[in-house]
Amino acid sequence: MSKLAFPSWAVWLMALGFAGFIALVVLSIRQNKGIKRSLFAYPYGLWIVIFTIIPLFLIGYYAFTDKTGAFTLDNFKNFWDSNYDMHKQLAEMGHNPADLGITRGLVNVDTLIYSLWMAFLCTLICLGLGYPAALFMADRNFKLGSTLVILFIIPMWMNFLLRTIAWMSLLEDNGLINSLLTGLGLPKMRLMYNSQAVLLGMVYNYLPFMVFPIYNSLNKQDNRLSEAAMDLGADEMVTFLRVTVPLSLPGVVSGITMVFMPSVTTFFIPRVLGGGNTEMFGDLIERTFLSADNWNLGSALSLIMMVLILLSLTLLRKVDPEGEGGSTI
Amino acid sequence: MQERQRLINLENISKEYDGVRVLSDINLYVRKNEFLTLLGPSGCGKTTTLRIIGGFETATTGRIIFDGADITNLPPYKRKVNTVFQKYALFPHLNVFENIAFGLKVAKRPKDEIKKRVEKLLDLVNLSQYGKRSVESLSGGQQQRIAIARALINEPEVLLLDEPLGALDLKLRQDMQLELKRMQQMLGITFIFVTHDQEEALTMSDTIVVMKDGFIQQIGTPKDVYDEPKTAFVANFIGQSNIIRGTMVRDELVNFCGADFPCVDKGFGVNAPVDVLIRPEDLLIVPSELGKLQGIVQSVLFKGVHYEMIILSNGMTFKVHSTVMQEEGSTVGLDVTPFYIHIMKPTITAPDRELEEEPV
Repeated sequence: MSKLAFPSWAVWLMALGFAGFIALVVLSIRQNKGIKRSLFAYPYGLWIVIFTIIPLFLIGYYAFTDKTGAFTLDNFKNFWDSNYDMHKQLAEMGHNPADLGITRGLVNVDTLIYSLWMAFLCTLICLGLGYPAALFMADRNFKLGSTLVILFIIPMWMNFLLRTIAWMSLLEDNGLINSLLTGLGLPKMRLMYNSQAVLLGMVYNYLPFMVFPIYNSLNKQDNRLSEAAMDLGADEMVTFLRVTVPLSLPGVVSGITMVFMPSVTTFFIPRVLGGGNTEMFGDLIERTFLSADNWNLGSALSLIMMVLILLSLTLLRKVDPEGEGGSTI
Repeated sequence: MQERQRLINLENISKEYDGVRVLSDINLYVRKNEFLTLLGPSGCGKTTTLRIIGGFETATTGRIIFDGADITNLPPYKRKVNTVFQKYALFPHLNVFENIAFGLKVAKRPKDEIKKRVEKLLDLVNLSQYGKRSVESLSGGQQQRIAIARALINEPEVLLLDEPLGALDLKLRQDMQLELKRMQQMLGITFIFVTHDQEEALTMSDTIVVMKDGFIQQIGTPKDVYDEPKTAFVANFIGQSNIIRGTMVRDELVNFCGADFPCVDKGFGVNAPVDVLIRPEDLLIVPSELGKLQGIVQSVLFKGVHYEMIILSNGMTFKVHSTVMQEEGSTVGLDVTPFYIHIMKPTITAPDRELEEEPV
């Protein structure tokens, strides 16, 4: 049972937080102020400070410093040119890197572009698959709608790593699909170790995050609005385009947000389903931190990622100022 | 009055939801330029009838004839009928102007024509300054007017109104009643109006259709329906009334509460059980020795225009409206003019299936 033991520092942290909270409550009661409602927000405030704000500052700190802690922009230069450090060392040793055939290293920038492209494709496919699915689910005349809802929810009860690994056993060279093909006397197919397999894994994992916000916005739409449109002379298609779609846009925007963000930072899926050159930015960050043990570069990469996500979110908000944020399951 | 053209004919319409019958054998016609009201308590099928005319529901059996053509299976967007929905159903993503313009935009009319016609309608509903406003920023009464303007933009021959005044307060409702009536007369459009408010129905309608449990109970002018209710239900639903079990002794003589009363109804047979209807304002309070019935005043309520008194006589309680107050506990006589005694067949269980022509 030793595996189940809670790390003692976590217990202490929790005890400390709880004691502090109780102390606050007691203090405010003794001062005859009564318990203010805002008091109950303090534990969460503390949580956010410890686990969000401080780490953010740490990332910022690491990104702009080197291993000695001195201010530097080298991490960002390293992002732009992965051979930057080598250039620097060679130059210090008195060599001309160009003579040795060492040019700009594109690994990091290429990985970022590849990730953005994959995330864009994944979002597009999720939207294309998710919108019709949400339409069916929200259609009151479609009796299987609620079954469909459950079918989308059930896989989410499982860890996404397991779900991704399950795809392996389907797609492998000796997996279920290929066994079926050979059984039918057909040639085997290479289904894994390429970008398409990674994309499949991403779409599979992120589709519910597209479907449910759209489903919610469609579901709460007043049916009489469509009736009013039909009453005024719009046929089914025109009603759909002029009433149903515009009213579901907030759901679409939050669906896009909910899929695009995790898509860009996807990791693990490319490692399981992808081949050699399908590494995505999330994996790159993880590798930089853990394998290369370069926290400074890793932080710089994370910072770039965050800025990009923030930018795309701002753009989305411009498109739909009333975006409803994450109205998920 | 001349016979006007029949515009809509409902023939044997019935409607079932999952085997449950909500409309049975609805036969009804609507004349051109008529203000027809479907009146009844909730669940009586009045809204379903309206939705069948609008094309949002299909009847299980029966046909709808519109201007001589069968439109039973026509989708809503092909019908020359427009609807003002309950709670208005305005498009929240469009502003006031765009809401009203919707019908014309869908019909791909030129821009300047759309502008002209929308502005004309905004004028009609007294909201000419509101075109750019978002519909959610408007009050209930204003939203109501926008919904009417939106439904009128396609110049329908028939306007369907589904409890359009239900969400408004009393004063506003009364103003809108008059305004709707004015619009109907000015535009010369047929209105089919659904309400559960009998006063509203009496004020506005040319014809009232009283419905209950999916059956039509009575069709008639407001005066007919009030003065000559065909069933106890109609009598009770339209205005207040005293309904007493009685016996038709012979033509023009009815017995109830142990006394004989001359009346004007006949054709019920001899010694036939009947329901007797007397409106509270038609019961006369007379000195007790002059009354056909004697009673004791149980309670007196001041109602503004009149006093409402409950009078117990021979085990029956009568509701009486009078401008003269009687002391609580005093003994009074009751009488009623023969003309104001209305005789009905006893408690109708089978609804009227064959409806006679109502007078125009």
